[in-house]
Amino acid sequence: MSETRSYKAQKLVERLQVKVNRQIMLSLEACVHCGLCTDQCHYVLSNPGDVTYAPAYKADRIRKLFKAHIDWTGKTLPWWVGAKSVYTDQELEDLKDTVFGKCTNCRRCSLNCPMGVDMAVFNRMARGLLVHVGVMPEGVAVVAKDQWEIGNQMGVLKEDYLETLTWMEEELQSEYNDHSIRIPIDKMDADVVYSINPREAKYDPRTIAEAAAIFHFAGENWTMPSQGWDMTNFGLFNGDDELGGAVGGRLYDAVERLRGKKLVISECGHGFRSTRCEAPNWGKRDVAFPMESAVITMLGYIKQGRIQVDKSKNSEPVTYHDSCNNARSCGMTEEPRELLNLVCSDFREMHPNRAENFCCTGGGGAMSMTEYAPRRLKSARIKADQLKATGAKIVVTSCHNCVDGLFDLIKHYKLDMQVKLLVNLVASALVVPERPSRKMRPLEGYKILVIDDEPDIRVYLGKIFKDQGCLVTEAPDANQGMRAIKADRPDLVTLDLILPYMTGEKLYWELRKDQKTADLPVVIVSGYAAVDSPRIDFFGFLAEKRLPQPNGFLEKPVDPEKLIETVRAVLLEKA
Amino acid sequence: MTATATATTPIERKVHQTVVRLMQGDLTALEVDAFVHYAKENLELGSGYGTAIQSRGGGAVKKEVEKIGGIRMGEAVMTTAGGMAAKHIIHACGPKFQESDTEGKLRDCMNSALQIARENGLKSVAFPPMGAGFYGVPLALSAQVMIDAIRSAAAAGTPPEVIIICTVDGRDFLAFKNQVGAL
Ligand code: SF4
Ligand code: SF4
Repeated sequence: MSETRSYKAQKLVERLQVKVNRQIMLSLEACVHCGLCTDQCHYVLSNPGDVTYAPAYKADRIRKLFKAHIDWTGKTLPWWVGAKSVYTDQELEDLKDTVFGKCTNCRRCSLNCPMGVDMAVFNRMARGLLVHVGVMPEGVAVVAKDQWEIGNQMGVLKEDYLETLTWMEEELQSEYNDHSIRIPIDKMDADVVYSINPREAKYDPRTIAEAAAIFHFAGENWTMPSQGWDMTNFGLFNGDDELGGAVGGRLYDAVERLRGKKLVISECGHGFRSTRCEAPNWGKRDVAFPMESAVITMLGYIKQGRIQVDKSKNSEPVTYHDSCNNARSCGMTEEPRELLNLVCSDFREMHPNRAENFCCTGGGGAMSMTEYAPRRLKSARIKADQLKATGAKIVVTSCHNCVDGLFDLIKHYKLDMQVKLLVNLVASALVVPERPSRKMRPLEGYKILVIDDEPDIRVYLGKIFKDQGCLVTEAPDANQGMRAIKADRPDLVTLDLILPYMTGEKLYWELRKDQKTADLPVVIVSGYAAVDSPRIDFFGFLAEKRLPQPNGFLEKPVDPEKLIETVRAVLLEKA
Repeated sequence: MTATATATTPIERKVHQTVVRLMQGDLTALEVDAFVHYAKENLELGSGYGTAIQSRGGGAVKKEVEKIGGIRMGEAVMTTAGGMAAKHIIHACGPKFQESDTEGKLRDCMNSALQIARENGLKSVAFPPMGAGFYGVPLALSAQVMIDAIRSAAAAGTPPEVIIICTVDGRDFLAFKNQVGAL
């Protein structure tokens, strides 16, 4: 019998031959249809009697393809083993409905299969096959394209990301009345490079501020990258290994570019799993630095006495939701509990828990697939019952994706509960020390831009500032200086007057004319003091243009102590 | 396996009168006469670069493409770039997701984009790795077709003075590195 296959179906079949590996093959071959996995799935439990949600039934939609094209039993006795290929675009749509719309790749069934069948591993492969031929839910396409082209899942542009970090830094400084609290961007040689979920930059920036406060009070030498900062990875959800490898690679590149010593991954189950475990394989990449969940980092700070916490500050009853990726796939079950017991006074388990916990129902990219939202919320009934039984007022999780899934179902089932992350609780339990735990250097954390056309001078001044704990950027001319001022928003600029293309005078004039930079502290560092010196010209220029005096004026060669003293005085006055 | 980050120092080559530059960066933030948006037939801006166009450029570009309505596979059309750093956007429709004759369609799409640039006297034009990434055109094929089209346009005369290939990360930079280096 020869049936004609549609173009897309043919391409999918060709791709199948490439993507089936030993791990997938074992899972596809091993099922004995015992049915033990059936009641492990939240879709089944919330939709009793609907066989199309049973893990083995869903698996067979994929298995029949494998039997038809790869397994010898299917080639010999196709009718006996249920081998069947795909022929039409409609069949691809039906497969899409199953693999994207009826499974969150939570792996709860996998954990409970006596034959070791890992449903999620081949369900993900099937998603990847469909994505390869352009068949996917609209929301999946939107998110994947954003991550491919903008560099993060939510299409957050660089300027918005940087503005959010600056905004959070200002909030923190005013909240703690402490100008030395910084969110350092692109600091070289930091001990910790901190990566986040774009949801934080777009919808929940307080979590960035809270993490920054924790790093600050722990005296951590840390930074955030200006690019390659997204630790989430949609490649895990849409089955696209190429996307997965590219996204992981951007993050690894960022850490290596900054010569960071350790990558700390904010709270996100799939981001943690992808970044730490999967992306090096997808991208065929060795990663030489350690990677750690922020949960472990925060727990370490408390245990080492680097931050102090008071659990009575979180007195409401709290329960904990284990994210599937953290608990089932990465085995991170005890550390969050240890942390919770240190920062809240009434922690109660939900049941089942740890690796047996039910999915938040928003996993596997489900939150992006709006067409399946009614189905998702219906299947969330089992989770809602689980939450309600705890009597807790707060459900804490360690995953931004779970936050959204839980929030949605709590609203849908009208539960009287809030959703929080561990970082929220640690930050609210923080006991702010009289003084930061590490001795601060005089200019610790200030951002200084050195504008000078002589490389030696830039290095010399930069070193002096760096030794004082400053974050230093450099520009060799006024144009690049202006761009750096706009991009990096330094706290102070040292400005040479003799510069190529545009003079330092002109740049000073431009800065003072613009409302946004009119108050930016500028210390002139110039090399001429003779009769024809630009200093004289410069002050004449100021008078002529009716410009205010600069905040400081130093002649080269610069005495380091004088420089530090001047800059410090300017910054203190500003503060 | 590779142990270190990919070096993405820009590479520049002169091909006849045209400077071809390979760089890693933010395509939609470049100050160029035009950048190329890999478009769908209906010109819908969508997500990815489309997100950046709508966010940085405001609503003007969306209105313009809606007015144009659509183009055929392999064709290109030019709009303004709203409030973006670039002056124009060339929307060029190329093949997606393994469709038949990917190479031929990609070649047509590149040639159409370069022709629009020529007809409008644009001096600098920036391209993404055309079709690679989300739309699944293999990076090596994208690089080969793009470089061939750029080389032919440069040989024929009156191409833009500067053609930029702007990659998103080190991985796609690497795919173009040898080809641009060999120009
Ligand atoms: S996947 Fe495992 S538990 Fe489920 S039916 Fe097959 S063998 Fe039984
Ligand atoms: S992986 Fe989770 S959602 Fe999918 S079938 Fe198994 S239990 Fe159900």
